[in-house]
Amino acid sequence: MTDLTVVSGGLREPSSTRLLAERLAAAATKHLSAQGLSVTTHVVELRPLARSIADAMTTGFANTQLEEAFETVASADGLIAVTPAFNASYGGLFKSFFDVLPEESLTDMPVLIGATGGTERHSLVLEHALRPLFSYLRAVVSPTGVYAATEDFGVATDQPPLDDRVDRAGADFARLLASCGQRVRRSAFDEEAARMERLLNP
Amino acid sequence: MSAMQFGIFTVGDVTPDPVNGRTPTEAERIQATVAMAEKAEEVGLDVFATGEHHNPPFVCSSPTTLLGYLAARTNRLVFSTSTTLITTNDPVKIAEDFSVLQHLSGGRVDLMLGRGNTGPVYPWFGEDIRQAVPLTVEKYDLLRRLWREEVVDWEGQFRTPLHGFTLAPRPLDGVPPFVWHGSIRTPEIAELAAFHGDGFFANHIFWPASHTERMVQFYRRRYEHYGHGTAAQAIVGLGGQVFMRRNSQDAVKEFRPYFDVAPVYGHGPSLEEFTDQTPLTVGSPQQVVEKTLAFRDYVGDYQRQLFLVDHAGLPLKTVLEQLDLLGEVVATLRVEMEKDRPADVPNAPTHESLLAAKESSDD
Repeated sequence: MTDLTVVSGGLREPSSTRLLAERLAAAATKHLSAQGLSVTTHVVELRPLARSIADAMTTGFANTQLEEAFETVASADGLIAVTPAFNASYGGLFKSFFDVLPEESLTDMPVLIGATGGTERHSLVLEHALRPLFSYLRAVVSPTGVYAATEDFGVATDQPPLDDRVDRAGADFARLLASCGQRVRRSAFDEEAARMERLLNP
Repeated sequence: MSAMQFGIFTVGDVTPDPVNGRTPTEAERIQATVAMAEKAEEVGLDVFATGEHHNPPFVCSSPTTLLGYLAARTNRLVFSTSTTLITTNDPVKIAEDFSVLQHLSGGRVDLMLGRGNTGPVYPWFGEDIRQAVPLTVEKYDLLRRLWREEVVDWEGQFRTPLHGFTLAPRPLDGVPPFVWHGSIRTPEIAELAAFHGDGFFANHIFWPASHTERMVQFYRRRYEHYGHGTAAQAIVGLGGQVFMRRNSQDAVKEFRPYFDVAPVYGHGPSLEEFTDQTPLTVGSPQQVVEKTLAFRDYVGDYQRQLFLVDHAGLPLKTVLEQLDLLGEVVATLRVEMEKDRPADVPNAPTHESLLAAKESSDD
């Protein structure tokens, strides 16, 4: 059983960010299934959590609703994270979610990154913003991310079609996830306690 | 002797009163703190604890100066800290200050060690915040030796060596003050407290009960692991935060403007959400009694309960009214907390109980 968690930072309803996230999840599922894995997908939409995320920033703890979202992310075997591009970076709500996510939640987690935007001019947001964020969080970021501009959802352009890019990203992510093997969850609580124990009992 | 101690702890903040817009002077805040401590004794509380901060808007940079003054103006109240910064203070100075305070107060003193939550305090006092954990371990080890060994020869990583050093004055009756270790977030402090068989104080007030439960149960387990007694015999303290009026609706109405802009948690969740998620109780004395009694459900029978009643710009008059109500609440809690308390759960440690234990082990 492979659990995929999808985090979508889209703010509109319906959301092209959510749409891209679902397409990526479907592609990843297809390729993981082809390896004989049974896949379950869980979606964490950030918009309904917007106030909870802001509250967690002021209080330092997550309410029950946000705690459940944290657990859905931390317990996954792989993460698909998709955000709209705002002002040359990821959306603020998307970043804020990962700012309040407990330490070590994404350590060793295979992550497929995606972003959406009005025009293709923002496509390097994947490489300049999302990839360093997840590298910092000690995730294993899949080499192929997908950026979708509004136009990609319509007529064919001179780019490879969105379907092809999504499929390729799904295939690469499936290979990465399979080769990463069973993920061992880390616990900041246990590790801090163990570090103190070692200091006290040299 | 009472099984549990009840009291108040203050962070000594100078905060504008959001209702009338007035900011007390530092002098007024310090005098208000004195008035609170005197009131705490008058209404029958057991403990008064002060925080330690080294930056505005706080006035509590010198805890033992304040506590020495308070000890002279009271007869029964026990003084403590919340917390004394073990990372940035010199353990020799901590040992000296609390030794003198023990003698002046007739043993009415203990202390709670913590790391502090203000990053720049480390560089201001010449320390490196990245070394916070090893600093805590080394400095506390030295502090224990200063109180327990007549002549200390010591060399460490973070302080100039000591050779042939004797703490003067020696601890009152040869009994070091009881030490609590206070923590908001990290299990490291729970492990340290368990290792030494000291008390563990969970701040409790800023986080959900589930977090406090995990920390306290971890501490209890480790206390037993290190052979100091059973998990149920570990020494636990909790913070709490209350605002009371006879009529609970009046309490909510009056406290809301303070809550909404309070330092630490203001501008975030609503008062209702926060009281639902944390130990904060805003309501009638009976509601405070009920919520406080329920703390035992997740930490077990414990030894010390301190309440925060004086922050966020609440005026002194209101705080003194809160203490009157708290006196009534505590009278009820004392009776209720004794019920079903297993005989092998220790009472709150005091100088007298530690002296008695020492004398019986000397025999």
